Amino acid sequence: MNNSGAMRGALRADVATAGGRDAPALSSLAVARLVLARDLKLALRKRSQLVQPLAFFAIVTTLFPLGISPELSVLKPIAPGVLWAAALLSSLLALEMLFREDAQDGTLEQYAVSGRSLTWLLAAKTAAHWLLTGVPLALMAPLAGIALGAPGAALPGILASVAVGTVALSLIGSIGAALTLGIRRSGALLSLLTLPLDIPVLIFGARATELAIRGEAYGVPLQLLGAIAVLGLTLAPLAAAAAVRINLE
Amino acid sequence: MAFLDMGGYWAYVWPAYAVTLVVMALNIIWARQLLKRSRKEALRRLSIGGNQT
Amino acid sequence: MAWTWFHRLASPPHIYRVAGRLTPWFAWPAALLIVAGLIGGLVLAPPDYQQGDGYRILYVHVPSAWLSLMAYTTLAVAAGVGLIWRMKVAHAVAASCAPIGASFTFAALVTGSLWGKPMWGTYWQWDPRLTSELILLFLYLGYMGLRSAFDDVQRADRVSAVLAVVGVVNVPIIHYSVIWWNSLHQGPSVMMLGKPTMPPSMLIPLLIMFVGFTLFFGALLLVRLRGEVLGRERTASWIREALRP
Repeated sequence: MNNSGAMRGALRADVATAGGRDAPALSSLAVARLVLARDLKLALRKRSQLVQPLAFFAIVTTLFPLGISPELSVLKPIAPGVLWAAALLSSLLALEMLFREDAQDGTLEQYAVSGRSLTWLLAAKTAAHWLLTGVPLALMAPLAGIALGAPGAALPGILASVAVGTVALSLIGSIGAALTLGIRRSGALLSLLTLPLDIPVLIFGARATELAIRGEAYGVPLQLLGAIAVLGLTLAPLAAAAAVRINLE
Repeated sequence: MAFLDMGGYWAYVWPAYAVTLVVMALNIIWARQLLKRSRKEALRRLSIGGNQT
Repeated sequence: MAWTWFHRLASPPHIYRVAGRLTPWFAWPAALLIVAGLIGGLVLAPPDYQQGDGYRILYVHVPSAWLSLMAYTTLAVAAGVGLIWRMKVAHAVAASCAPIGASFTFAALVTGSLWGKPMWGTYWQWDPRLTSELILLFLYLGYMGLRSAFDDVQRADRVSAVLAVVGVVNVPIIHYSVIWWNSLHQGPSVMMLGKPTMPPSMLIPLLIMFVGFTLFFGALLLVRLRGEVLGRERTASWIREALRP
């Protein structure tokens, strides 16, 4: 739509003029905040796109009872695995919107040559991505938990673990998305690249969820999840920036 | 022959060794094929382009 | 000066020549040691009191798994070097490692499965080592898939190098999490495929196989490296000379 094209351009210009070699008036953090705001604004105009990963999550979660058993007693033990497998796949789906449009309309290229730290800008984009996809997923996860037999007391634990886990998933996913930037029909390759790297998140997240469902303390796996997220925060945008630069050459 | 029987485990031991040896053989074949192909390609490029820099 | 030595070492014509000359020095000892290891493992080593003659699969399974890990590490280091110092030869090394590593990961999985069936009754068991090998196979396939998605070799080299470096950082994390996951459900993590203590008569053929497999990897790498280096060269001058029959 013409509207969104103009808006994309205007917001991009904001970032470009906000700093750069001639007038580094703004700190990297401030420019990153601009990028974050831009991504959020643009995404919220296309709300239907935001719902898709969530609908996917709901459908995938539903597949398991249909394929296994309607008995909650049967579903409860496998609930953590089902929930997290669905979360991983949904986050994979949502990676489409991370770099695709900015790569196509040249925004990424502008970021890369802007003289601003591409690492920071991509970190900002990934943060926006998490706010738009990870947080809603975390809010939906407790509902999925209930549908799979989790008790009410488990809900905070489920929410916390998915909230932290999706941070890591967005960061790891940003690497895969950056690597496959120029590749057409990269969906299967993106999954092949990203999912093995997601496995620790799955293991620790599912364990935290399982403990929460059992009413036990879930601090240890949650902290391990947090550690991965922090590691991702420091390394993933760097790797993604390197990959983006190579792909834009 | 007791050796071939492998204490009753012949159905597992021998296929395992066979698979490993096949993988080794394939690796040798693939490596040599790659080198041969690359040599041919390089010579072809030479004859087309003459002295490129 | 150290740097000129380094750059001369890494120049494609030099590598092509040296790799060609080194190959027999790796290939023949490898063949010898592997044959010796096979004889040692199949004939000379005594049967295990618990697993009988079935344990002999160890002599191909463990070296295969070792090779799969060594190939990945070499790949990642070479990719990192190529990325940082922009060396084509380093990227060529990384590219050479992948098919070798992937095929031996496959061999490790198959032999592991064949070892498992008589020992614990099923062809597959989600124990830490087999699970980690399976994930390693996925990492290899991802690396090779990413490479093949690019037409330009240089871009393929550099993008897949980023993936390799990210992967190698992840491998310890993945491995640790798999061990952790496994221990949750089976008590202290028991490597199901292994022998806790081995007498020298059992150990020596294994060590011989280790060295033999390592040298074999070296030989394969040298041959592939020459092919990969040729594929990355545009300047004709040295090629004409080197390929003269």
